Amino acid sequence: MPMISSNPPSGGNKAQQQQQQEEMESSTQESPLNPNAFTFDLPHPVYAMAFSPSPFAVASSCSAVAAASPRLALGSFVEEYGNRVDVVAFDEDALAFRPDPALSFDHPYPPTKLMFHPSPLPPLLASASDSLRLWHLGPETAELRSVLDNSKSSGYCAPLTSFDWNDEEPRRIGTSSIDTTCTIWDVERCAIETQLIAHDKEVYDIAWGQAGVFASVSADGSVRIFDLRDKEHSTIVYESPRPDTPLLRLAWNKVDRCYMATTMMDSNRVVVLDIRSPAAPVAELQRHRASVNAIAWAPQASRHICSAGDDGQALIWELAAAAAAGGSSEAAITAALEGIDPILVYTAGAEINQLQWSAAHHDWVGIAFSNKVQLLRV
Amino acid sequence: MVAPPSTSLQQTLQAVVQSVQWTYSLFWQPCPQQGILVWGDGYYNGSIKTRKTVQPVEVSTEEASLQRSQQLRELYESLSSGEANLPARRPCAALSPEDLTEAEWFYLMCISFSFPPGVGLPGKAFARQRPVWLTRANEVDSKVFSRAILAKTVACIPLMDGVLELGNIEKVEEDMALIQHAKRHFMDHFDAHTKPALSEHSTSNQFARADHHHPLYQQPPIMQQMNMDIHASNQEEDDAHDEEEDNDEGDEIEGSSRSELRAMKYSVDVSVPPGLTVSAAAAAETIPAAEASELMQLEMSEDIRVGSISDCSNNLDAEQMPAAQSICKHWNCLLEDLGNGFQQPLGTQEQDFSPEDAHYSETVSSVLRHNLKRWVGSSPLSYVIQSQKSAFSRWSSKRDRLPVCSRGSCTSQWLLKSVVLNIRDLHCKLSDGSSPKSTDGEGGNRFQKGTAQEEINANHVLAERRRREKLNERFMILRSLVPFMDKASILGDTIEYVKQLRKRIQDLEARNRQSDRRLKAMEVDKPDYAVNYKLDNHVVDKRKPQVLEGSNGVGVHASVVEEDALLELQCSHKDGLLLKVLQGLHELGLEVSSVKEVHGKRVNIADVKKTIDQIFSDH
Repeated sequence: MPMISSNPPSGGNKAQQQQQQEEMESSTQESPLNPNAFTFDLPHPVYAMAFSPSPFAVASSCSAVAAASPRLALGSFVEEYGNRVDVVAFDEDALAFRPDPALSFDHPYPPTKLMFHPSPLPPLLASASDSLRLWHLGPETAELRSVLDNSKSSGYCAPLTSFDWNDEEPRRIGTSSIDTTCTIWDVERCAIETQLIAHDKEVYDIAWGQAGVFASVSADGSVRIFDLRDKEHSTIVYESPRPDTPLLRLAWNKVDRCYMATTMMDSNRVVVLDIRSPAAPVAELQRHRASVNAIAWAPQASRHICSAGDDGQALIWELAAAAAAGGSSEAAITAALEGIDPILVYTAGAEINQLQWSAAHHDWVGIAFSNKVQLLRV
Repeated sequence: MVAPPSTSLQQTLQAVVQSVQWTYSLFWQPCPQQGILVWGDGYYNGSIKTRKTVQPVEVSTEEASLQRSQQLRELYESLSSGEANLPARRPCAALSPEDLTEAEWFYLMCISFSFPPGVGLPGKAFARQRPVWLTRANEVDSKVFSRAILAKTVACIPLMDGVLELGNIEKVEEDMALIQHAKRHFMDHFDAHTKPALSEHSTSNQFARADHHHPLYQQPPIMQQMNMDIHASNQEEDDAHDEEEDNDEGDEIEGSSRSELRAMKYSVDVSVPPGLTVSAAAAAETIPAAEASELMQLEMSEDIRVGSISDCSNNLDAEQMPAAQSICKHWNCLLEDLGNGFQQPLGTQEQDFSPEDAHYSETVSSVLRHNLKRWVGSSPLSYVIQSQKSAFSRWSSKRDRLPVCSRGSCTSQWLLKSVVLNIRDLHCKLSDGSSPKSTDGEGGNRFQKGTAQEEINANHVLAERRRREKLNERFMILRSLVPFMDKASILGDTIEYVKQLRKRIQDLEARNRQSDRRLKAMEVDKPDYAVNYKLDNHVVDKRKPQVLEGSNGVGVHASVVEEDALLELQCSHKDGLLLKVLQGLHELGLEVSSVKEVHGKRVNIADVKKTIDQIFSDH
């Protein structure tokens, strides 16, 4: 049984908190007394994490949980066939986690990504490992609704590295796979809508920008944008400076769709791109002291992004000044040379492997490191 | 005096106020640093007391009004900048304070105002995000409408991140239709010229900011505009990437969508004071004519905002002007073409684009259009509120001194790399049910060591595969040596077999001592051998041995394991016997994979791999 530990917020006044925060700033280790980080322990390492969309009633045994609480699906990462997905709710009033064991289920192979259906009903959860699976998180139990399997023969099906659910056209899910293709599924018909050979090498991440437009990153080091209305052409929006440096993660700003961000392998930089000016990044955020593992745009603000990496830090950046760094004013030059500083920082005790910013609850950010999941209040 | 150009914002304001026949329209926009609403742009549509012109040119009422707004603006700026410069700077046709009507004065004063959210009429409208209509403004308490001088009716409508204010010296009752009408005017302008959405490029320059909010096309070229374009283009010249892209284009007229690609880039440039003075002049000359025209066309199509131009023109060095002007004439004619080109609506794509770029521009334009619609619907915040109880702390640059916490020997991005890089092997390994259990341990080790680079990973895959193949080969050989083996229990069976062999050796040696009398070694061997096999049978149940004992001391044992069959022949040595055996097997249609002949024991063992299933269908 996973253990629950939560730190109740200190009742101190703001000055006290400020002081605490300043103390925390100077320590490298995570202060266990950070009153606004709430930890959930699991018996296994966690990689995949998903926040549920806009609040909806939880009609299960944990009905005590307020209807508007954030709900998390956590996928284990065990290098075996048998893995598990746990569904956990977080009570904002009590500031405690409430796992929902009835909804937890076994999962074949570690899920590389979990994502909820963009609208709360039906409560569907999609997971990707060897193929795309849809799970219905019913009131009592979670059951497998469908398996979207791409293998034409009964044999090997290329494992999926990631997928993205199109929030404007929720029938569409795009998956990326190591066989260099991206597949667009129609989840209502459970059939393939289209399949594209996206890159020359394995595709590592995919993100929707619009109902028919998505972007993907690959081991060949390029970010490409695809338009489903014209599948013959794709545009390279960015290529990693050293050739063939794989780009590992991609995030498209859902608020201001001109911007997207990507991370490279073994790099501490987050590269922010503007789709209107391909090839030249808007900014390169370089304040991490180790490689960056995950990025997430703020769901409500147009120019804030959060990143987390192996240095155990989660940084929130504001890109207002970043865009102006294209010019040659003195301030801009400094910004270009020294890079932009983040505005907020959080230090966890270990490498942070996953980061998600809740779209339904804008002030919660979830991070996963070692066997723990933490909810951080922004 | 030539009518000064106007931004499209001003044109919109003009259109709105003229269509409703009110006195003035203003736009207040939020200034980010101070968080208040400040003057954006305005249009004065009221009565004009005096009209000063240099030449006796008949100007239309419209132009006159436009002029007037500009003049009022200039007057304000000159007044605010102090009297010392007054005579020197201003052209003779400029206004002086005594020329203004009261309404015009009111308009002038508005420029100086600023409203924090919630304060004053515009502030309230902004905070509430709903239109506010005030009639009899001049009678109202100054708290509500602090500028109550003349305007009798004031309506404030929140639009596009700012507030549109309309004023009238007549009393007009509240009219929602009018508000809708005004809104529609703004929206229409937006739809006609789809725009790159906002992102703040310069927090310090509020004029530029204003324009970024409403980046609409500007038609008429002016000297200053060209200077701006030079700067913008030079900025681009410095960027190798862009140059390449431009050269790829080779288009005469740019679609509006392409300009969006550049729009924000240029808006960046716009707000930048020309630190590029040196490079500008140099670069300007080096531009080849044809490409220059394309480049300039690109920039011409950009939104150049009057506010920012006037700002930047102030910053221009004197020597910039001559260099810029020489190219300006060259561009004049091009601009006309471009201006015409821009009348085309978005849909027509008759230009000869290179196809990829055309597609991409369409994609980008559709994304941007979509973006805009979403923004008109619900204005997103441009800031993240850090709650009091935030888990995050403020960043300070002192943090650089702190050491990195690392996980010892593990490589960077270990988990992430496992996810994306190693999943293939993980799946292969786990789905391969018949893989020997020994390799699972190896795989586990491999994961823990952490394959950092992809090349190493590939090597591992190959190495692992080779290892597996080698292991399989050796298992086959082992199986051929030791009878009755299948893969799973191969080690156990080998242990048993070795034990038996040792025992047998001991027995044989014992018998050897008595061998003088034992001429029937074969007969003894046979049962021993058979006994051995029977023992094996007990040990492992999975096979179905066929033990045939011929009368002349020939023993044949056959065992079938999955697809492989192990045939053991025991007979006396005869030259050419092996050949005959193999031929016989061949006639049967059995493919022999390995043969081992043991002379000492007078045992021929042939390992046979069946290729035809029917022969063994009985088994």
